[in-house]
Parts: sequence; C-alpha cells; structure tokens
Amino acid sequence: MKNQSLDNLQRWMQSVITHPGGVEAGLATPAARAHLEMMPADIEQVIEPSHSQSSIERLSIYAGAYYTRLIECLQAEFPVFRQTVGDDAFADFAIDYLQRYPSQSYTLAKLGEHFVAYLRETKPAQPGAANWADFLIDLARLEQTISEVFDGPGIEARSPLPDSNVPTMNADQFPQARLTTVPCLRLLALRFSLHDYYTAIRANKEVSLPQPKDSWLAITRRDYIVRRYQLSHPQFVLLDALQHGQTIGDAITCAAAIYPGQLDQLAADLQQWFHIWTAAPMFEKPFPV
Amino acid sequence: MSSSQLGYSNLGLGVGLRSTHFSHILEHWPAVDWFEVISENFLDSAGRPRYVLEQIAERYPVVMHGVSLSIGSTDPLNFAYLAKLKRLAREVNARWISDHLCWTGVVGINTHDLLPVPFNEKTLRHVVSRVRTVQDFLERPLVLENPSSYVTFAASTMPEWEFLSRVSEQTGCGLLLDVNNVYVSSVNHDFDPVEYISNLPHHRIVQMHLAGHTPCRTHLIDTHDNHVTNPVWELYRLAHQKTGGVSSLLEWDAKIPPFPIVHAEVLKARQYMAAELQPLNVSAPQSLPLENHSSATPPHPATLVFAEVE
Repeated sequence: MKNQSLDNLQRWMQSVITHPGGVEAGLATPAARAHLEMMPADIEQVIEPSHSQSSIERLSIYAGAYYTRLIECLQAEFPVFRQTVGDDAFADFAIDYLQRYPSQSYTLAKLGEHFVAYLRETKPAQPGAANWADFLIDLARLEQTISEVFDGPGIEARSPLPDSNVPTMNADQFPQARLTTVPCLRLLALRFSLHDYYTAIRANKEVSLPQPKDSWLAITRRDYIVRRYQLSHPQFVLLDALQHGQTIGDAITCAAAIYPGQLDQLAADLQQWFHIWTAAPMFEKPFPV
Repeated sequence: MSSSQLGYSNLGLGVGLRSTHFSHILEHWPAVDWFEVISENFLDSAGRPRYVLEQIAERYPVVMHGVSLSIGSTDPLNFAYLAKLKRLAREVNARWISDHLCWTGVVGINTHDLLPVPFNEKTLRHVVSRVRTVQDFLERPLVLENPSSYVTFAASTMPEWEFLSRVSEQTGCGLLLDVNNVYVSSVNHDFDPVEYISNLPHHRIVQMHLAGHTPCRTHLIDTHDNHVTNPVWELYRLAHQKTGGVSSLLEWDAKIPPFPIVHAEVLKARQYMAAELQPLNVSAPQSLPLENHSSATPPHPATLVFAEVE
C-alpha cells in the first residue's frame, strides 16, 4: 500500500472512525481516500481481519465508540437539555455539534464549550418573539455556566467580605466604593424563566415548559456546591454594574432607573439585597476609592 | 513495599480515584495503599475535584495517569499540556506520571480514544523520539501502558510486547502492564498472553492495572465495568511472579459500585501474590461466551466530574 506513512494512516483512520455514517461510509469519502489511496474493498491491506471479525467490523468498534462516548459526555454536561428534548433529539444535536466542533482539548471538560455557539449558529431564522430555539439556547447557557462555575476558580480557600462590612461601611465612602465580585459569580439574562424548570427536572418532577418571560439569575459557588439565585431586573443591573467595576453609587443609580417602586423602598431593598449577596457570597472585598 | 523498578517504589494495592467515591473517601479515609488519578480531570480544576485531590495527596501516595499525551500521534507534542502535567505532579507529589502507547487524534482533534499504532521500525523511531522529548521536559521517566485494542495493522512487523520492550530499552521509560488489556487484545488478535507477559522486560514494569471486560459475540471490549475475570487474575499471578511484585491498581470506570466493593476487588490480588505459580492456561477461548453486548463501548477513563448544584 502506497503512502501508508504513520501520518497518512492516522489521518485516514480518524476520518473513517469519526464519520457519522459509519465505517463503510467513511471509507468512501474523498477525505479518507486522500489520505490512503485505496478502494474500500482493499481495507485488508491496512486493517487486518481477525479470525472472527472482518476489517470493517473491527474498525467499527472504534467508530461506534467515538460518538457513543462523546454523546454520553455531553449528556452529562447538559442533563436538563437532554431530558427536555429527549435522547434521540439530543443525539442528533450532539452528532451535528461534534462534526462542527470536534474536541480540540486534552480534557473532556471543554467538550461542550461551543455548544451554545453551535445552537445559535444553527437556530432557524424566525424573527419575533422568543421561541423553542431560544429556550434551548437559554437552557444550554445555564447548564454550561453551572459546569464552568463548579470547576472554575472559587473563594473556598479565601476569606470573603464579611457580611458586616457593607452595612457598616462609612456612609460617606459607600457611594464611591467598588466591590470586587467573586471569580465564580456569573450573571445570566434569559428570555425564559428557567429557575423553577431546571429545579423540577433535576428533581425528576413533572413540569410544563416555561413560556417566554425575561428572567435573571446569579450563579455562584459556596463550599464547592453551585448555588443559583433568582434576580429581579434591577438586582441584575446592579450586580452587573458592580461586576463591571462601577462604583456602588453608580450601580445603584443604574438599578434605580428601572426600579418599579419608590426610592425609600429601594433603600430598604438594597440593605436586604446586599445582605443576601454578601452571604452568598458574591463579593470578595471592598475597594474604597 | 520493598522492591523498586527504575527507582519507583512498590506502593502496594491501589484504587483509581473516581468522582463517585469522593464523599466516601473524605468521610472514611479508607485503608487504601495509594490512589491513581486521571491527570486531565485535575489539570485545570479549581473546584471540588482539585480540593479532593489535595486532601487525598496529603494522606496517600498519588500517581498521575493520563489519557491525552498522544505519544504515538504525528501531531506536535502539546507543551502547554506537558507544563500543566509537570506542575500538577509537583503540587500533589505524584510518584510517577503514566499514559498509554497510543494516539488520540491528529490535525488538532482529540477523539478521546486510545487508538493503536502499527508496530514497525518507523513508528518505533517516532515514539522513541517523542518519549525522550517528554521525559526531558518532565525531568522524570515516563511510564507507558499497553492499551487494549480492536484492530491490528497490516503495516506491523513486530508484536506489541517487542515494540513496548524496545521503546522502554531505548528511552529508559517504565512500563505500566495492564494485564486485562493484554488479555482483551490477546482474544481480539489471537495471540498468546502468556508469551506476551513472559517476553516483557520485567525490571522495567513499574505498575500493573487490573480491570473487568465485557465479552461480545466475536471479541472482548475493555469496559472496566465489572469484576476482574479469572484468566486476568491468572495473568496477574504470572506477572507478579515475573516482576517480583509491583504497584498494582484496579480501574473501575462504568457501573461503578460503592467504594468498599472496588477496594475489596483489588485486595483479591493478595491471594494471587501468595499462591505458587501453577501451569497457566489462559489462552484465548476457542469460542467466546454467546453474550451479545453489541452495544458495549470502550469507556474513557477520564470520566467527567459532574457539577454539584443546589
């Protein structure tokens, strides 16, 4: 067999065993034949048959394992997405995704890192209100964020900002102060209300699909367990501004602009919000200007 | 724990660390001799997996076992990955670093499978060169494992045991002898597993792996999802006798039972160490059991660590 260098052999074998149509379809592709000049019937010149299996049957063990294994990994990273669409539809998504974004990392932890982008790129063009595709994108964003927060940097080994610091900070300093959010804090603005739906599916409870409704979540981690917090729109705006380095005063101004109640009520709410967020914890330490 | 191969101590009987056992281990600190961890699961972790590893490394010897080195690939070596391996090994005081004689992908892709190479002189030169580069970078001998395989190449000109022996002799690397992989491949490729183990350079075998497999109608799949079978234990007995005893570890990667069952499985090795070596008859069966686990899939040991969510 000509051109059977190790490089050609590996490129050929990879293109054959990763073909979604199976080994026989993979053998017939121009890509495979570009690496090894051979008719599919001549495969025994590359892969030996065994006493009980043909060359194609032997190679098919690797081909079958490739998608099965990686689909299982994606199912584990997106368990609620999988339950929502069902196993067959999930496998269809996964196989298409893996062809567009084959793993290029040494770790399976990054296998799903482009899944949200893939869903956005392949979303049917339907202008107007949020639809089923937007729901799935929201769901994938939530689950990918949870995975990222679970294994990413946290503050378990550090001392978070004591709860008492925020309310007791010198009143004059408070508006000019900036708060550093913990590295595991992620803020999500979603087109569907996913919090209760996610909780119910994870608990194997019956739940109907949520209707389109803007929602906001904070995802963080304490004691190595991922925690989810539902936010109102003003809360999201306030936290988002703080996370982007704005002063507490400026962040509150942003939140106040969309706060639906009276300002004296906002002042009371702020005290309670910061208490919850500090206990979460969402802040590391203050940086008074 | 007396003998040493390439200067590496016999750590005793260990268990592969899997995330399903994290809580049990942290609560009970079981009397396990040592743990082997899948390197890739911890290289970038800053969450609970890394915390658990640090706790374990303070109390037990730890060995790092990788699945993405891709030493047989024609793609360039990934030095950023190697740097992370080196750093993690230093941080958890890994006794050695192992991976497989395989390739995992080319043109930048990782199939996350342990794919076989043809055993010939060209591949030998390629692998030897890369092992030397890796060892120079890591500043320690690499330990290479024989993978289970499901194909053989027409381009091969020597048996796997000879290829591994020559890689080890030419580079000074250690060997991780997976006796279950030897058995699985011997059935799939119709070779004599006793001859395979007898011909290896036993002084270079640093560690052994034990695991379960699944019989299909025409072949065996290395599923790591069950108890170790008798033929594999017999091969272990032979390898123990040939090596004089080296660190041994059980891998259980699918349908993982509670930790005490996994631990008890590896402790069975004691009876095969103590017993006199009898004439072995572990050649491939003439006909495999008629179980048809056609959907059995070779597992990937880099089992994902699933997020814990409130």
